[in-house]
Parts: sequence; structure tokens; C-alpha cells
Amino acid sequence: MRTDVWVVIAGMAIVTYLTRAPLLLMLARRALPPRVRLWLRLVPLAVLPALALPLILVDHGRLALSPGHPPLWGAAIVLVLAGWRVNLLVTVGLGVGVVAALRALA
Amino acid sequence: MPSVFVYGTVFGGLAVQSGLHPLEVWGMSLLVFAGAAQFVAVPMLAAGASPLAIIVTTYVVNLRHYLMAATLAPAFQAFPRPWLALVAHGINDESFAVAVTRRNPPDPWCFVGSVLAVAGAFLAGVSVGTRLGGLVADPARWGLDFAFPAVFLALVAGQLRRRADWLVAGASALVAVAVAFVLPGNWHIVIAGVAVSAAAALLLQAEPA
Repeated sequence: MRTDVWVVIAGMAIVTYLTRAPLLLMLARRALPPRVRLWLRLVPLAVLPALALPLILVDHGRLALSPGHPPLWGAAIVLVLAGWRVNLLVTVGLGVGVVAALRALA
Repeated sequence: MPSVFVYGTVFGGLAVQSGLHPLEVWGMSLLVFAGAAQFVAVPMLAAGASPLAIIVTTYVVNLRHYLMAATLAPAFQAFPRPWLALVAHGINDESFAVAVTRRNPPDPWCFVGSVLAVAGAFLAGVSVGTRLGGLVADPARWGLDFAFPAVFLALVAGQLRRRADWLVAGASALVAVAVAFVLPGNWHIVIAGVAVSAAAALLLQAEPA
């Protein structure tokens, strides 16, 4: 048992429940204000690239923008396929495959 | 449901490869039960991010639940509170989409049924994934380290509809990369995500519901 991991999991569980339960239990009758709705819709659109791009572009603390950096090609494939509304898992699988193939060739 | 099962399998496999114990992966899936946030947390845990950063990031990734809970609430007027407290834990993107596209206002039982199906498929997938994940010795060789950013990119690209959406995503990515170089501890995700989305919500014209 790693206590630190379980503390993180418990914290995640609590804050996630706090995003789900209050409005449902209050049986909120009124819709949220339009600007709040807009913000809540935009949050994932901002958070997901904020997660992904540093993982792709930063390699060992440096900006990796050379064509010899396989994740750049993987990211390009994923964006194109997801833009065409290809199934999420197929998209991710092909992106991962491209990165693996480029690493095998290098 | 098959896609939820596979999503769970992929999550379980990657989480075990990132160094989590199968029991931890299963516990997280049951107690947090939010696929995207779990995908976010695993590489942060593996990178040794601060617990507070992981928990705050989880909260921000899950903020969208407020929108779903507010939309579902009127349909659940007849439910006793203790049951609602349980139903709340089941709120997830797939079940929400099923319930609101089938009927307006959404049918509560359709939502509850979908939650049970999604939970069963997700947890079954996670169980299979944690078994499979231990079989791959060198994840980077198979490009599996790229699976995390690939999932995030694919999730966001599927949601970009208006031109403003692209601007928000692009601006947030730039801000995040810049902040990541200045601040340690993975705080760039929350900072860029909240600041850019809030700025956009203030500047853009509010959309009709």
C-alpha cells in the first residue's frame, strides 16, 4: 500500500464528487448563466492542449521542434484523423504506431 | 459500450505501465470514475507531480460536470435525495450525451441505465487492461508513452467546432508550454487552462443555450 498514491486518489475522488453532486442534489431549476456555460464548455478545450503540447514539444527540459522528434509526427496524424472524426481509439492507435515506427527506423 | 470497454482497457494498461499497482488503478476508476481526469492524473503521478497539483488539475478537468449536473437536475425532481447522491457519482460524458439526445427533458431512467452500462464496461475494461499492461516490457519502444498526449489531442480535436474554439486551444497550448519552462510541478496545465478559458469566456459573445 502506497499511502501517498491513495491520498491523491482520495483527493481526486472528493473534488470530482464536488463537481457532480451539488447542482444535482440542489435540483437546480434554473439554467446556469450563459457566460458560465460558455466558460465551462471552453475549460476542456483549454486544459487538454495545455496538457498535451508540453508533453509533445518539451523533451528533457528543451523545446523539441526538429523533424527528427517522432511525437511531432504522431501529433500531426492524431490532429488530422480526429479532425476527420475518426474513432478516438483508432486515432490514438495510429498516432502511437507512427511514433513507434519512426523510433524503430531511427 | 464496446468503446468504453476499450477505453478502460487502454487506461488500465497504460496506468500499470506508468508504475501504478492494479489495485490503485481499479480504486481510482471506481472512486473517481472520470476517464479523462484519470488519463491526466496517471502521467502526473508517474512524473512525481505534487499531490495538490494533481488534485487541482483533476478538479479543473472535471469542471464540465457542473454543466451536466445542472442540465440533468430538473429531470430528477422525483428521486429521493440519498439516491440522487449516488446517481451524482455516475455523471459521465457518454451517459449525459445518451440521455440528452434521446429526449428533452432527459429521461432519468435512461440516464441511470446508461450509467450502469458505462460503469460496468469501464471497470471491466480497466480490469483487463491492468492484466495486459504488465506484459509490455519497454513501453517507449512501442510508442506507448505517446498514448497520453495522443488521447488528449484526439479528445480536444473532436470538440473544436467554431473558430474561437481553435483560438482557445492554440492560445492555451502556447501559454502552457511557456509556463512549463518557468514553473516546476505541472502547474502550467491548470494555469493555462483556467486563465485562457476564462479570458475567452469574458471576451467572446455568450452563446445561446
